[in-house]
This record gives sequence, C-alpha cells and structure tokens, in this order.
Amino acid sequence: MSGIFCSLRQLSVTYGRDRDGAAALDGVDLDIVAGERLAIIGESGSGKSTLARALAGLLPEGAKVGGEMLWPGLGHPPRAGRDFGFVFQDPGSSLNPVLTVGEQVAEGARRHLGLSWKQAYVRAWELLGRVRIPQPDKAMRAFPHQLSGGQRQRVSIAAAIAAQPALLIADEATSALDVVVQAEIVRLLDGLVREDGMTLLFITHDIALASGFVDRIAVFRNAKLVEAGPVRSVLSAPKSDYTAALIASHRDLATPPLIAEVPA
Amino acid sequence: MNDTLLSVENLSKGFSSAGRQVAALDNVSLTIAPGETLGLVGASGSGKSTLSRILLRLLSSDAGSIRFEGADWLALDGAPLRRKRARMQMVFQDPLAAFNPLATVGTVLDDPLRIHGIAAKDRRPGEIVMLLERVGLTADHAARPVRSLSGGQRQRVAIARAIATKPSLLVLDEAVSALDVTVRGRILELLVDLQKEQGIACLFISHDLAVVRAVSHRIAVMDGGRIVETGPAAAVVAAPQSEAARALVAAVPRLVTDPC
Repeated sequence: MSGIFCSLRQLSVTYGRDRDGAAALDGVDLDIVAGERLAIIGESGSGKSTLARALAGLLPEGAKVGGEMLWPGLGHPPRAGRDFGFVFQDPGSSLNPVLTVGEQVAEGARRHLGLSWKQAYVRAWELLGRVRIPQPDKAMRAFPHQLSGGQRQRVSIAAAIAAQPALLIADEATSALDVVVQAEIVRLLDGLVREDGMTLLFITHDIALASGFVDRIAVFRNAKLVEAGPVRSVLSAPKSDYTAALIASHRDLATPPLIAEVPA
Repeated sequence: MNDTLLSVENLSKGFSSAGRQVAALDNVSLTIAPGETLGLVGASGSGKSTLSRILLRLLSSDAGSIRFEGADWLALDGAPLRRKRARMQMVFQDPLAAFNPLATVGTVLDDPLRIHGIAAKDRRPGEIVMLLERVGLTADHAARPVRSLSGGQRQRVAIARAIATKPSLLVLDEAVSALDVTVRGRILELLVDLQKEQGIACLFISHDLAVVRAVSHRIAVMDGGRIVETGPAAAVVAAPQSEAARALVAAVPRLVTDPC
C-alpha cells in the first residue's frame, strides 16, 4: 500500500577487528516498506544488531561497509532522533544517569521540532502519558535509577519517538525484561507505531514474540539474510531449514514437557 | 521424613532501600524431594534470586530455617559448611561472569575435584574428560580458555563443574535465559538426562514459565517475596489460581501464524 522506505542492496559490513575478513553482514538485499512492522530475527552472531547499527549510522569507526543503503522515503540518510528513534536493549545504559527523565525526553523534541524548553517539557509530559508511565508529574523529575527496568524502557521509547520519527528501531528492546513486562512493552510499541503510522524495525531473537504483531519477518543467520516474507507464510511454510529449526525450538505452554510429571 | 531432600520453613529476608524496609522474602516455605525438579517462577523483583542466594549461603536470612539432607543447613559454618557445599551446587545465568576470566576449561573442572577431594591428582585428568563428555563436550576442550567458548558451551562447562562434586541438589538461577533458543533446548535436554541418570534434584528458577514447565515436576510461583501458589506443573499451567500465575501464563509468547 505504501512505497519503499529503505532499500538495502548487497549490504555488507566487516568490523576492523576481524582481520580474517569475516563479515558481520554479508550481501544483504532487503526492502523496508514504509509503515510496515518488520521483525529482524536472528541468534547471537547473526548480524541483526549490525544491521540496526548500519541503518542508524551507529557502526563503530573502522567498520567497512559495502553495497548500498537507499532511502527513497526520505531522500537522504536518516538523522538520528529526527528521522529514526532507537530503543536499545538496556535502558540502564542508554539513558543518561544524571539527567531527569523529563529533560531527556524533552531534549529530542526541543532539538528537532524547534520547540522551546517549556513547550518541549509539555510534550515530554504528554509522551510519558502515552507510554503509560504512572504519575507522569513525578516521573518527569525522577532520575533513571529511581525507575524499574520496565519503566525505564518506557522512558527510552518516549525519548525515541519525541521528535516524531518516521522509523522506530527497537534492538532487543524487551529481552532484558521479564516476560510479563515484555508483553506490556510489545503491546505499547505496537499501539504507538499504529497510531503514528511509524515504520517499525523490531529486532529480536524470539520469533514467537515477533509473530504476535509484526507484518513481515526477515530471518538472519551467520551474517546472511536467510529468508524474508509475510509472517503467516514464513511461519506456516518456512523456506529454509534454519527457520524451521527456529520454529521447532519455540517453547510455549502447549509444548510437551521434557519430563514425566512424577519424578522417578 | 526420608523423602524430603530440602525443606525451607518460614524464610524471611528484608533489605533496607532509601530508608525503607523492603521484604524480599516473606515467610517462604517449600520442599524438594530427592530427584525432583521444583520450578520457581516469578517476575523481576519477586524474590526468586534472594531465595537462591540464601539457599546457597551467599546471603544470610533474617528468620526461618532450612533443612538439607537431614541437617540444619543454616547452622553449618566454616569447614563443615565447605564440605557440605559439595552436595548443593549452582549454575548461574551468565556463565562468563561465573568463571575466572583467565581460566581454562580444565582448571575450572579441576578445582572442585581437588578441593572436595573427589579424585586423586593422577585420576583428575581422566575425571575431567568424563565430565566434559557427559555434558556433550570433548577432551579437546580442556585446554581451551573458557572465554573462547560459545555461550552454550560455557553453560555446559558450568553444568560439568556443578555435577563434579556429585551433588544431590542443583540450584539453577536463570541458567538458560541468556542462551539462543536452539541452544537452550539442548541444554534443557542435558539437564533432564543428568537428572534421570544421577537422580539429582533441581531448583530451577526462571521468569519464563514455558521453560520452567519443560523441566519441572512441580512449580512454585513467587510474587512480592511470597510463594503465592504451588502445585504439580501441569495443574499450575492449566489452571493458575493466583493473579501472578495468571499473568505469567498470559505473558508466554505464542507462535501466531495467522495475525489479524
């Protein structure tokens, strides 16, 4: 229904430290459709975080990038905070420990939307409400360490969307949280991108978690894109053995247990 | 009672935080039979890890008692405690943080065999190879630095170290939470096999009810420092009685092949 937001053509990334030349991303062709919710699935070393960092221009110095990244939806490489927001795995280290919650959420709005601090604080307060922080008045004045892990991640999300970016990148944004909080954060992200028409890149190792709300899934393994397609077709008819193995490894409460009920 | 390996009674522990007293454990009681796995599940901050640390005598309790292998576990001290620790071993979440960063696999496994006098010096290399093979690694791994192993291999070494002293109880605190899903399945199978073979009892702690369900005979649910529900694994999963258990059941991600 919409155009291509970002187009990756033979994208490769090699980190300087890998003298043997092992690529962290190897010849990836992938289109991100404007307004879609795309899950990037992979295990350790699959290249999923390198992909997020390449898109965000956050690769470390010395990383060698090959191929092309085209942004037809923007016409220029995305600017951090303005065109995309980034939610990291650990809000304990991505939030600034010496700034109040209000200040760090307001900062993006002030900088990118041309608001005064006063206006930006009003917007930050509204955003804290949108990410369902209880008692936003109190939270505005709090420091990150005074909040729980789940609340901190809500604050990171508010800061990431403060300047109304077109793209939200969530890199393992829920994997440091317990399952109950994880489910709440996923519902929150889903609601926010729907309401604002954002494009979402949801990067996770958990294919089941993603399957509950994304439109498309792209599976990565050992730096390569294994397959990409609509959730329904990838899950019901995976093309690669690896995707099938990932699906088979999934455990939920319907999976038969590994033990008999009564100890021997 | 001969069929109780571990019994915890009315265990309490408070921490003071910013001048306030927080009950991390509030009158917790549980039992584990020999060869049984009790799954302990709960959200972050529910008290699971405080309980495991008190069991392992890494933390003292404020009140309550623990009996382990028929003895008063909290009364043990010094050399008798060190000797008895061989019978209750642990596997933590992050295997890299649980090892000396400079250690090789061989030295990691040699330590418990030497300290607890499990095998004489000339027999230890052979014992190490047996332990490695038992957890799905090979003799070649002994010479390698622990840092050079993958996360799954490291956790296998942590399990090998834990079973080296022939314990009757393993305390596993989020032991598979940091692993990739394909690796996680194989580690769970290894734990179940070890239990069948050696009759080890396990306290398996996780926030993930699906993983707890896979390996537990019984499940205890923690919330706010209390055990709010205990029962056979199938019953807790099928008909959770407490608010906390219902929330945990509802939060387990399911594979959705037909999204709306």
